[in-house]
This record gives sequence, C-alpha cells and structure tokens, in this order.
Amino acid sequence: MINQPLMVPEIVTAVALLVFFAAIKVQTGYTGMGYLILAHSAFCIPFAYLPIRARLQGMDLSLEQAAADLYATPVMVFRRVTLPQLWPGILAGAMLAFIISLDDVVITEFVKSAGQDTLPTYMLGQLRRVVTPEVNAISTVLLAVSVVMVIAFFFLSRSRK
Amino acid sequence: MKKTLLTSAISAVIATSAFAEGELNIFNWGNYTNPDLITKFEKEFDVKVTITDFDSNDTALAKIKAGGHGFDIVVPSGTYIPIFVGEGLLMEAKPNEMENFKHMDPQWVDVAFDPGRNYSVPWQWGTVGVTVNTSVYSGDINTAAVIFDPPEELKGKINVVPEMNDVMGLAIHYVGGETCTGDKEILKKVRDPLVKAKKDWLSMDYGNIEKFAKGDLSAGVNWNGASFRTRIENADIAFGYPQTGYPVWMDNAAILSDAKNVDNAKAFLNFIMDPENAALISSFARYANGIVGSDAFMPEDMKTAPEIVVPEELKATANIAETCPPEVSRIYTQIWTELQK
Repeated sequence: MINQPLMVPEIVTAVALLVFFAAIKVQTGYTGMGYLILAHSAFCIPFAYLPIRARLQGMDLSLEQAAADLYATPVMVFRRVTLPQLWPGILAGAMLAFIISLDDVVITEFVKSAGQDTLPTYMLGQLRRVVTPEVNAISTVLLAVSVVMVIAFFFLSRSRK
Repeated sequence: MKKTLLTSAISAVIATSAFAEGELNIFNWGNYTNPDLITKFEKEFDVKVTITDFDSNDTALAKIKAGGHGFDIVVPSGTYIPIFVGEGLLMEAKPNEMENFKHMDPQWVDVAFDPGRNYSVPWQWGTVGVTVNTSVYSGDINTAAVIFDPPEELKGKINVVPEMNDVMGLAIHYVGGETCTGDKEILKKVRDPLVKAKKDWLSMDYGNIEKFAKGDLSAGVNWNGASFRTRIENADIAFGYPQTGYPVWMDNAAILSDAKNVDNAKAFLNFIMDPENAALISSFARYANGIVGSDAFMPEDMKTAPEIVVPEELKATANIAETCPPEVSRIYTQIWTELQK
C-alpha cells in the first residue's frame, strides 16, 4: 500500500490527485504551495521508505534490548542507539526522495496552481515555443553537481573505514 | 489542540482573502508572454500577475475541467476554443464591447471558433510552412514536396515538428483533401506517402533552431516564428508557404467562467487589444498579432520579414485550422501513431 506510487502509472496518480485537490480547493478556497508539497511527499514516500526499511532489517535488535536493559527510556533508546545506526538509511532515503521530486513532471504539471512552476514543468512549457540555451546550462549544472556529490561521498565513506 | 486548529483555520481564511486583492492569474503556453508586457500591466493597474505554463492544449483542458484551478485567463489555440466553450469553461466576456475592440483586425473578428468575438481576444497567430536552407537547395521552397517527396540534396536532413494537427493539415492539403476531412480514400493517400517520406527524415523534434543554424538540418516543417528566429542565426534560411495549402493557427486569450478576478481579467483583455501592447506580445515570441496599428510599434526586423508578413502572391492558399470532429481526430491520431513508430 505504501509502495503504490511505484506500481501505479504516474499519470493515473496525477489525475487522481488533481481531482482530489480540486474538490478541496473548491471547498476551502486555498490555493497555495500546500498541495504541491503534499503531492510530492505522497509519491516520494516509497522511495524514502525502502532504504530505511533495508537498513532497519540489517540492524542488530540486541543493541536496543541491551540499552533498554540498562535503564534507557524508549525515547533515549531511539535517540542514542537506533538513530545513529539508522541515519545513513535516512540520508539515502532523503536524497532519493529529493531526486525523484526534482525529476517529476507529470504529477506536478497537473497539481500545480496559479503561479507555481517547478524546473521540469518550466522546461516542458518551453518545448513548443522557444527553447533557450538556459535549458542546456541547467542540465550541465545538474550533471556537475551530481558528479561532485558522488565524489564527495566516495571520499567520505572511505575515511569512515 | 482545538485552539491551534481553530486559529490556523482562521489565519488560512484571512490569508487567502488578502491573497486575492489585485491579482491576475494567467495560464499560458510556456515562454510565450513578454515580461515587459506584464510589468507594464502591473504598473498601470496595480495588479499582481502570475503566469503558469502549460505545454499543450490537452493539459490545459484537463486542468481546467477538473476545477479549482485558480486561473483567470487561459490562452488556448483557436481549435480548442469551441471545446472550451462547449464545456462551459469560458466566460462570455464580450471583448467586442470593450474600448479597444476597434483596433482588432477585421479579418480576425468573425472567426469560425468565436464568431463576433464574444469570448476571446487574439494573442498571436502564425503559419506552418517549410524551412529550407537555401544554400543546400535552391529550388522552389513554396511547396510541401520538400518534405513529403524530398529532392536528393535534402534527404536525410529533414526535421518534422511533431505537432499532429499542423503536419496532418499540411499533408491532407498536399494530396488535395479539405481541412478535417474524414474521407478514407484521401486519408489513405495521406498515410502512405507520409510513412514513405519518413525514411528520408532525420528527426521529429521541436527545438531545432541551433540545428538549422549549424547545418545539421537543411529542411523541415516549422512554424513561421521559429523559422524567423532561425534566419536571424543563419541568413541562408528561408521560409516557404506550401502552395497546396498551409495551415494558419491562432492562440487566443479568454476569461475562464469561474475566474476570481474578473475585473482584472477584463482589463487585461482590453489591454492586449491596444496596438502598442499587441506589438509587445509579438516582439517576444516573434509571431504576428491580430491588432491593426501594431506595426508602428513592432521591432524593425519583424515589419518586413516574409515569415511574419505573408507575401501577397502566397496569401491565397492559407487554411485556418479548424476543430475536427472526434471521429476524424481519432483517425488522424491513428495515422500519426503509425507515423511515429
């Protein structure tokens, strides 16, 4: 159920969200960023969830039990034992969700309200009229940023050993 | 808990009502609105304008049909205006009763999709023709044979813009049919040459200005404005009007029936019928507009460009694009799908 956005075609999700938010907009009159944020959060959940789940499965449960044995409250167990082990998974999930959200065109195109544009929808809108070299510049920058990040993480993970 | 809910609900309501003062939300094609035009309108009427992009008439129609969109003005193509009107999505704003209506070019007042102009105002109009690099091919360019039956020197360097209605219009007239014909015989005569000609085509892309400028492409189906911009990069490029019949399209601005800022929207429609502002619109995307008197304000190179001002001897074979009935559209889509395989 959580992984539904992965299985359902994107256009189906987009139109479903459009109809749902349209009904809410008519009721409340609120047109703002909230819908876009909600929509993106919704379909990014499986992408964030899967790395975290994988990390959880690989984690050692006995550490938590040991901490509880040593008089740690559940909150402290989570903060001091679980979270430090989990944070690479959370970080991976966050980055994956960010990338999927940055990349998404179809859902954003349908859900966006007046005055809202994301980078992909802006680029799509240019397609039939003028495509400025801006687009090439943006693509180069994105590529450069991803290369830099991969190199940075490579060196970071090496030093941790 | 209840208190925070209540206060947040109240603040949301207050926020939205403050939001709606002096606003205008335009839903237009991407990169199609001159920022200078918007600044001018904002200053003159003290209104905050937002522009949201759409990439196709179908997306615009789907979004507006769903409701709750928050837009006031939409700029669809003329062929879609009857569809919008039929669904009750456009307000009968009566531009023909507005102050600046007298500037509208008479040939664009009684159009098939909006007779007498009760709903819409022309935004820009253009033609579909062939762009040819005259240094590669020096024959007659005012014919669709350049694309559908290409000469040797152009084979393998042709691009066709993947805009179904425009290319189908061109092809149907090339074999002698009428716009929006459902005649199966004619359509067979359209499909076979199209599929055969595809082998000589290099690509079916939109963004082709740089490719023409550099010489990767030598010919192609193109819009006149795009061709004009290409000629600025490479002076060998010429635009031809196929004499068997070339499609003419027009994008029009209209007010949506559930628009929230009706007064600002009407002011905007009146605003763009002013010759100086129409010229601003044209100078941005480089297409002609439907307002008389805007020539005085147009940029120099657009006043005499053969792409913008159709030469007299080639004018006769223009075909204004029409809204085809659904069954006919379905057949065209089938032919188009087969072509794109």
